[in-house]
Amino acid sequence: MKIVVFITQTQDTEARIKVGSSGDSIDTEGMKWIMNPYDEFAVEEAIKTKEAYGGEVILITAGPSRASQVLLQGLAMGADSAVHILDEAIGETVDSLVISKLVASELAKIEGLDLVFTGMKIIDEESVQVGIQIAEELGIAHLALVSKVIGVKPDEKKLVCQKEIDGGSVSVEAPLPALITCPDAMNEPRYASVPNIMRAKRKPMKKVSLDDVDFGSLGITKDAVGKSGAKIKTVSLEVPEVERKLKIIKGSDETTVKGDEIAESAKELVKLLRDDAKVI
Amino acid sequence: MSSEIWVVADVKADGEIRKVTFEVLSEARRKLGGSVCAVLLGNGVLNKASELASYGAEKIYVVDNPNLKDFNPDGYVKSLCELIKKHSPAVVLSGNTAFAEDYIPRVASGVGSGLAMDCVDIGMTDDGRLRIKRYSHSSRAISTQEFSGDGSAMIATVRPNSFKEEEAAGAGQIVNEDTGVTDADIRIKVLEMKTKESDRPELTEAERVVSGGRGLGSEENFNHIYDLADLLGAAVGATRAAVDAGYCPYDMQVGQTGKAVSPVLYVAVAISGSVQHFSGMGSSKVIVSINKDPEAPIFAKSDYGICGDLFQVLPPLIEELKKALAE
Repeated sequence: MKIVVFITQTQDTEARIKVGSSGDSIDTEGMKWIMNPYDEFAVEEAIKTKEAYGGEVILITAGPSRASQVLLQGLAMGADSAVHILDEAIGETVDSLVISKLVASELAKIEGLDLVFTGMKIIDEESVQVGIQIAEELGIAHLALVSKVIGVKPDEKKLVCQKEIDGGSVSVEAPLPALITCPDAMNEPRYASVPNIMRAKRKPMKKVSLDDVDFGSLGITKDAVGKSGAKIKTVSLEVPEVERKLKIIKGSDETTVKGDEIAESAKELVKLLRDDAKVI
Repeated sequence: MSSEIWVVADVKADGEIRKVTFEVLSEARRKLGGSVCAVLLGNGVLNKASELASYGAEKIYVVDNPNLKDFNPDGYVKSLCELIKKHSPAVVLSGNTAFAEDYIPRVASGVGSGLAMDCVDIGMTDDGRLRIKRYSHSSRAISTQEFSGDGSAMIATVRPNSFKEEEAAGAGQIVNEDTGVTDADIRIKVLEMKTKESDRPELTEAERVVSGGRGLGSEENFNHIYDLADLLGAAVGATRAAVDAGYCPYDMQVGQTGKAVSPVLYVAVAISGSVQHFSGMGSSKVIVSINKDPEAPIFAKSDYGICGDLFQVLPPLIEELKKALAE
C-alpha cells in the first residue's frame, strides 16, 4: 500500500506567546516549533497500517526550511521517505486553499496512492480544513475524525472505520484512495529510538521549490502563497488578557475548605452566582 | 456576484434545525446588509422552511433529496457547490458544527473560495469584503481576517452561542432546487449509526455547561456531574483525561480536540485547567471551578470557585442551588 501523511510544523501553543511587531502574527523570536500534535497520531496510524498490510509511508509538508525538522521526526518514527514543498512565504499564509492545492499537486504525482492520513486540526491556526481540502483537490473521499480504523481491504480498495459525529459515532465503508483525519483518541504515537533518529537523516527527502509548481494548472498564481495574493489574510492579531474575577473560596489555611467551611463555601458560592454574576 | 448572504441551515438527526442557524441568520441581518437568504439541505426537510423565514430569510433555497441523509458529506458538497455556482452569493455562512467541519472545507475548494472557520464575529469592510474574528493558538490569540474580495463566494462558519437569535419575519420565498445528487455520488456507505438520544441540552448550544475531569475517579462518580447539570438545566462536558479514562464518551469532550463551547456559565469540577481544555471553553462568560488543589491552574482563570474536595462540596452545593432556584 502507498500511504501518505500530510504533516505540519506548528508553534507550541503551550509556550508563552505575544504579538509580533507587524501586529498581524505571533512573535516567532525564540519560538519552539513542534510537529502538530494531531499529526503524530496520523504518522503512528500510517506506520501501523504499513505494519499490518505492507507498503510504504511517505510524509509531505509545505513550509519554510525549519519545517524539515518535523519530516525528520516522522522519518525517525518509521516513515520511509519525505517530500518538502519549501518556501519561506508558506509560513505566512493562512489561506488553506493555497496550501491544499500545493500539497495535492505533489500527491497527484504519486502513483497508486491508497491512503492519506493527517491530524484533525493544526493547533496554531486552529485549522481543521486543510486535509479535507486536499481530498477535494485530489477528488478522493475523506473521512473526518476517525477514532478507529476497523479494517483495510487493499485488494478490494476498501476501508472500514468508525468516525465521530455530532451526538455519537458512525461506522462507514469508503473506497480507496481516501483521506483520514485523526483525533487524539486514535492511538499512542511511538517515540523514535536514537538509532532510528540517526537513520532518519539518510532516508530520502525530496525538496520541491515553488518554481517547480505548475500554478496555471492549480488555478492560482504564485503570489497567492504568502499574503499579497491570498483569498483570506490576517489583518491584526491580539493576545487578549481575559480578566476573570478570581473569587476563589479557600479554607482558613489557604488550602481546601474543611468541616463547617464546606457548607459555608457552598452557600457563599451560590450567593455569588446569584447576586454578583447573576447567572442563576 | 449577487448581493445575497446565504446561511446554510444545520439540521439535527431528529430533523430539528439547530439554534446556531437562527443565531447566524439574526447576526447576518444585523451586520452584513444585503439580502439574507437561507439554504436548507436534507431529506424530508421542506416543512422546516417556515422556521427560517421567521428569522428573516428572504428566500429559502431547498434541496430535498433522499441521498442527503446520515450526515454523509458527498451529497451536501455537491449540492452546495452547485447552488453557489448557479446563484453566485456574496457570502455563505453556516454554524460551526462537527458536520460543517466535515463538509464545508470541500465546498470552499469546490468553488475556489477562501474559508474562515469557527468565527466569533462577522462584519463587512466598506468595500464589501467579509471581515471576521476567530480564535487561534489554543484560543489564546484572536485574529481579525479579511477576504480579498476576488469575486468568489466568501465562506465562513460561526461558533454556536456567539450571537443572539432574534425573530424577524422575512419573505421566506421558497426556491426548490434539484442538484442532481444520485446514489452514484455517495462514496461513503454508512454501515451503522450509533447516536444517543439525550434529554440534556446539546453541549455546543447550551447556555450552561457542567464539566468533569479525571478527579471524578469513575464513570459512576460522574453521576455527580449529571445531577448538578440537570439541576441547572446544563449540558455535560468532560476533559480529555476523563474521556480517556472511560468515564464518558468522546462526544462529551471539551477542548482542542473535542468541542468548543461558549456558554454563559461554565462549571469545571475536578479539572486542573490545561491549555488544551481552555482552548475549548476559554470564551465562556462566567467560569466556576471546584478543585481540591489550591495550585490548580484553573483557579487563575476562573471567576468563582471553591478549593475543596468535590465529594464533600457538591452535596451541599446542590442543596443550596435547589433552594436558590426555588426562590
